[in-house]
Amino acid sequence: MTTVTDLSNVRASVDKANGLPNAHYIDKDVFEEEKHALLFSQWAGLAVAADVPEPGDAKPIEFLGMPLLLLRDKDGDVRVFQNICRHRGMILVDAPRKIEGAIRCPYHSWCYSTKGKLVSTPHVGGPGHNTHVSIVRSELGLNEIRSHIWRDVVWINVSGDAPAFEEVHGELITRWADFDKPLYHGGGDSKFTLEVDTNWKLAVENYCESYHLPWVHPGLNSYSRLEDHYHIERPQQYSGQGTMVYRQLQDEAGNTFPDFQDVGEKWGEQAEYIAVYPNVLLGAQRDHAFAIVLEPKNTEKTTEHVHLYYASPETDDRLRTKNSAMWKEVFEEDIFVVEGMQKGRHAVHFDGGRFSPVMDSPTHCFHDWVAGKVDTHRGQAKAAE
Amino acid sequence: MSSDLDARMIAAHEAGDPQALIRLYTQAADEANALDAACFYLTHAYIFALEAGAPEAAALHARLKAHGREA
Repeated sequence: MTTVTDLSNVRASVDKANGLPNAHYIDKDVFEEEKHALLFSQWAGLAVAADVPEPGDAKPIEFLGMPLLLLRDKDGDVRVFQNICRHRGMILVDAPRKIEGAIRCPYHSWCYSTKGKLVSTPHVGGPGHNTHVSIVRSELGLNEIRSHIWRDVVWINVSGDAPAFEEVHGELITRWADFDKPLYHGGGDSKFTLEVDTNWKLAVENYCESYHLPWVHPGLNSYSRLEDHYHIERPQQYSGQGTMVYRQLQDEAGNTFPDFQDVGEKWGEQAEYIAVYPNVLLGAQRDHAFAIVLEPKNTEKTTEHVHLYYASPETDDRLRTKNSAMWKEVFEEDIFVVEGMQKGRHAVHFDGGRFSPVMDSPTHCFHDWVAGKVDTHRGQAKAAE
Repeated sequence: MSSDLDARMIAAHEAGDPQALIRLYTQAADEANALDAACFYLTHAYIFALEAGAPEAAALHARLKAHGREA
């Protein structure tokens, strides 16, 4: 029987609310429910466009058990397809590679263009007869998943019926309009993955509050004190934290990364760190940015894909490497916390916990969003019965 | 098909050599005695050319289309 959790108190005001019940972190039925309510029906982060830098680059990605193909087509547009042939459902691409011409299914060699069009169906009408009246190629292109690129993140709406990305996130796009500059991925030394034994939502929850910073990241204390941070809350969309004392990384000679054009003057020592619901964690600073795409593996496992970006395609190798190491250390410091909270969700008497009305509102904002989306999903499921 | 051509085709498949596959299947089509057999080999040459983005694809497609075997 499907687990139905009581979310009535999650959406109460922050001073009275409890957090999400344990089942939202450890129950397979709830995970499946959230897969649809929070990930497939929203704009979820899948990857970054830098994963497929050149036309023809293809990368198979499994997202919540679904085989997808991230592909940059011949015109340079990034697309996401279901990674299966329309003939027998065979996996088309099993490892990252360059598509030189067409995608050929390895089973019966049906071929697709990089835009997903079915271009050949060998022997479909018998040996040497490559057409058949019942196989209408224009109706049998690859199933494309609705996608959108923003801040180099490839966002997908699997259900296909969410409002346009710009509509959902218009407020955030405006908020960060100053940062709307070309982003250059730092390359191989500017990406890493962290395998974490936690439900993906705990990574969001930890990211969007500054309350833990002095305890978990004591190295930040010397220049980034708790009182230098502010909350960022946009109900139903995103939450996070900002700092008023962002300090640029320097090398021994005092060199820094170049600023994004016009951003340095405006933002100076201010920087923002926002969890864009459901599963993307973004950082925006005067001289570099990052994106973390949380890949939910199962109830208790998450892969964090971290990517660092700069204002220029050319940055100093040593400084860039140092920056990657610095961020990796910070993000690794969070692992014991999210893994510890995950273990804590197996304590049967835990009631979801309580929030500091002053310090935890960005986390509560996320819980409120989760509860609202799950309630909506349950309502739709009930109406369909 | 000669046993030599057959052997070279098998070697090209094993090597995953698209240029050789295009060339050898085209040769097999050119040497075939019957239209169906020729179109069978032409189809393979065309598909490998299509996959490789090889310039031969256009001419191979035209030959198949001329025989009513391709759209």
